[in-house]
Amino acid sequence: MPKVTIDNKVYEFEGRPKLLQFCMEHGIEIPYFCYHSAMSVPANCRQCLVKVGNPQVDRATREPVLDDDGNPVIQYFPKLQTSCSMDMTDGLVVHTHRTDELVARAQRDNLEFLLANHPLDCPICDQAGNCPLQNQAYKYGPEGSRFEFDKVHKPKKIELGPRVMLDGERCINCTRCVRFTSEISKSNQLTIIERGVKNYPLTPPGVVFDEPYSMNVIDICPVGALTSKDFRFRARAWEMSKTPSIVTGTSRGSNCYYWVKDNEVMRITARTNVEVNGYWLADVDRLNYRKFNDARPLGPDMVSEGARVSTDWDGAYERAATLLRGVSGDEVLFIGSAHASVEDNYLLMKLADHVGASAPVYIPHVEAGSGDDWLVTDDKAENAQGCERLGMHPVDETVVRARLDSGAIKLVYVMDEDPVASGLFTADQLKSVDVVLHYYNTTNETFPVANVSLPAATIVETIGTFVNDQGHAQRVRPVKAIQSMNRSLMMETGLSRQDRHATPFDKWSKAENKVNCQPGWVTIPEIASRLNLDLNYKSPKAIMAEIESSNPAFSGATYDAMGLTGARLAEVGTTV
Amino acid sequence: MEQKKVESNAGNWKEYTRVLLPPVRDLHRLDVYEKQGGYSALRSVLKGDKWDPKSVGDAVKSSGLRGRGGAAFNAGLKWSFMPPVDERPRYLCCNGDESEPGTFKDRQLMEYNPHLVFEGILIAAYSMSITTTFIYVRGEYADWIKHMEGELKKAYDKGFVGKNIMGTDFSTDIVIHKGAGAYICGEETSLMESLEGKRAYPRSKPPFPAAYGVFGMPTTINNVETLACVPLIIDRGADWFAGIGAKTHAGPLLYGISGHVNRPGVYEYPSGMLMTDLIYDVCKGMRGGKKLKAVVPGGSSTPVLRADMIEGVCMDSDSLRAVGSMLGTGGMLVMDEDTDMVKWLRRVSHFYHHESCGQCTPCREGTGWLEDLVGKIDDGEGNLRDLDILIDLCYQMEGRTVCALADAAAWPVRYTIDRFRSEFEAKCRASHVATGDLQIA
Repeated sequence: MPKVTIDNKVYEFEGRPKLLQFCMEHGIEIPYFCYHSAMSVPANCRQCLVKVGNPQVDRATREPVLDDDGNPVIQYFPKLQTSCSMDMTDGLVVHTHRTDELVARAQRDNLEFLLANHPLDCPICDQAGNCPLQNQAYKYGPEGSRFEFDKVHKPKKIELGPRVMLDGERCINCTRCVRFTSEISKSNQLTIIERGVKNYPLTPPGVVFDEPYSMNVIDICPVGALTSKDFRFRARAWEMSKTPSIVTGTSRGSNCYYWVKDNEVMRITARTNVEVNGYWLADVDRLNYRKFNDARPLGPDMVSEGARVSTDWDGAYERAATLLRGVSGDEVLFIGSAHASVEDNYLLMKLADHVGASAPVYIPHVEAGSGDDWLVTDDKAENAQGCERLGMHPVDETVVRARLDSGAIKLVYVMDEDPVASGLFTADQLKSVDVVLHYYNTTNETFPVANVSLPAATIVETIGTFVNDQGHAQRVRPVKAIQSMNRSLMMETGLSRQDRHATPFDKWSKAENKVNCQPGWVTIPEIASRLNLDLNYKSPKAIMAEIESSNPAFSGATYDAMGLTGARLAEVGTTV
Repeated sequence: MEQKKVESNAGNWKEYTRVLLPPVRDLHRLDVYEKQGGYSALRSVLKGDKWDPKSVGDAVKSSGLRGRGGAAFNAGLKWSFMPPVDERPRYLCCNGDESEPGTFKDRQLMEYNPHLVFEGILIAAYSMSITTTFIYVRGEYADWIKHMEGELKKAYDKGFVGKNIMGTDFSTDIVIHKGAGAYICGEETSLMESLEGKRAYPRSKPPFPAAYGVFGMPTTINNVETLACVPLIIDRGADWFAGIGAKTHAGPLLYGISGHVNRPGVYEYPSGMLMTDLIYDVCKGMRGGKKLKAVVPGGSSTPVLRADMIEGVCMDSDSLRAVGSMLGTGGMLVMDEDTDMVKWLRRVSHFYHHESCGQCTPCREGTGWLEDLVGKIDDGEGNLRDLDILIDLCYQMEGRTVCALADAAAWPVRYTIDRFRSEFEAKCRASHVATGDLQIA
């Protein structure tokens, strides 16, 4: 196998990778700005310079030339080379800034140039704290600047489109955003204008940067030049926790980070998962986070003597159990949810089985033609595939409507769904029956007709497994805290700097942003125990372990196997 | 002072007969050009038994013709880098984006002998099986573009260009492309980007143009003057060409001489002319009898030479390298004793600042900084530390960018300060007195 020597250490490689990509994959840090694994290599930031050479070969004998000590003589390239554009060849000898002072100096020099006309407005910049330029300037840059002239002034506060703002002065002209629109999204809505030191990206005349993937350029911008109109000036990077999870509103399960401050989701950014979403995220998936913060229920409530009263959790569980006890199994319609995790649906199936009802159905959320052939899917629910693999099926509307109207159904048990808003039933139809509802938001249109309503933890407050439309099983982690203490949730919760170090007087610790809700894997076992069914598992991990070992459609989907990037499940005959 | 007797590499240049720009009236007209034996080289290549594509390339290689655009690379060798013919189109670019300050020689060829350029292109196209040739002319040469388009049409009408040239089964097209006025388009890969309709950012090499050129196809790019030499090599033989001028840099050369001489202009002589001959003999000496101060031998980016350095220096690559400069494009800038070298450098730095494309960090940020610093010194506000920073910045820019513009911007600064340091120091010192800054003695 061909070998490369990097900083006096020998590595083996296959094919002809680019040197920088190889170093990134092997934990050898080299500073860079313009390179991106998914895009072409313009080698324009000139930051990743390294010293490169090949062993000298005697022309006549084809033998390597050795020096007096018997070591091969290395013939170095006359100039430093950009590692991003350097094709690796057998025998290549590389020196980074760790082993070569000239390389370290070149990288320092380059950062001095980059910072010469950079406004250095880090104190008011959204990118600060999470900024490749800032990080690498501290790490590899000069200690001060010798530049003592007026900086170049360029337009600031440019609205590129409905979602992206540009500060021309912060731009370091890496052209990542331009390459994104020309190579990845192919919208060609951005280009570099002006020349030389006045360069900055802009839309061509008459064009608005409104493509459905526009916000990815904010993620890949190595400085704070491109900012989100939605997020800008709302939080500093170090005030937020950043938790890996998946987005909602699409069955693709694109990987993302949730950024949380004061126990509220502030923004969603893309997380790399080459098998699912690559490096990208659709704009709609980023901007739908407000549902996690706004219109959340205050706590469980129920209808008592014709009036809605709030209650404690035990009261709500007891009422739900009472309603279930009061009807026979075939009089209950269980509605599971393609928004809920595999674990929650699995527990609901067990409960339905226990009371003698038929298996739960789920409401499909397919909007035909609304997807593209990339990350936006027709199916707007996250876990339809997971429901199918559990053995649940889409609701047969005509059948259940007929049963409801004929009075055959006396109790509708809804988990994490909204049958009224999705058009399955009307609110009037449901008034004639009892309704138990697990729900996310008070905007839920079934909520006004529910007899017992239990606030449910959303995808950002729970632990669970979701299977995307390609059969990729992925875990979600709690991104923000809920009011009640839960050992499993606490062990998985990501912490921001303030969560760990701030004082109790800071706003973050106020309970008002913590929602009084419970995950399904807490509420359903509570109700079940009142019906003499023991569904108490140690943790969601144990639930999934049981599903994995008992249901071949989930073979391989243990929490450990899914990790951060998920596990690809085998194809099954029944797909959505 | 007794003049040292020095040998010119140009030989007996006073007896030289011009071949690139022969003194023929209306030579730009196709009929006149043909009467002078024009297109006979092409005819013999296409219709004679003597030539095949390979032998044409070999003749150019053995003639020692080196590129006239500045890099002085062996033209025949460059042609031989083209990959074997396959189903892909193959392109030739004729670089007429003459933008280096002090260079104006290609314009003369385009104006007075365009058919020689066309003929050279056609022979090169035959040798490399080129489908289409793009003549990329800078936009400011609007008149010459129009002029050449008219002549090219005549050549098309006559069947010298286009389908089945001269009745043979060889076909090739020539397209004249007008640049939009950026110095960087003279760089070969950014010229290609510009041709493709993109922003003229130089490409990172490798891949080189022969592997990945215009529209990703195999491409060769040559200077106007280089291609104009090709028919002469075919017509009169590689040996004849190799025998002209300097041995390592053979052939006729167009010297574009500007500045403080009595008769500036474009002169055709063998390569390897003594710089002193060019200034004092060809250009009839310095204007107003002033003393010579400095010469820039080949366009503003080549390192400047002091008057005392040019004694016995010939205009060919090796001779100039020995004295610490380059031939470049052969556009000589001659400056007399009244020239303020700081002001000159300020103007040159302004040019490279203005023309940097802005792709690579060191050039984008460095060119402006250089201009700022030189301007500061020129305004009498500099100090000696600024000179050190200037030299430092040159070091930080050189060889660290995609193309050579950073080097082109840094060299004038580095070598002008190196060779005229006292002038810079004098301006710095003046500023210390004026501002009362006595910290730097």
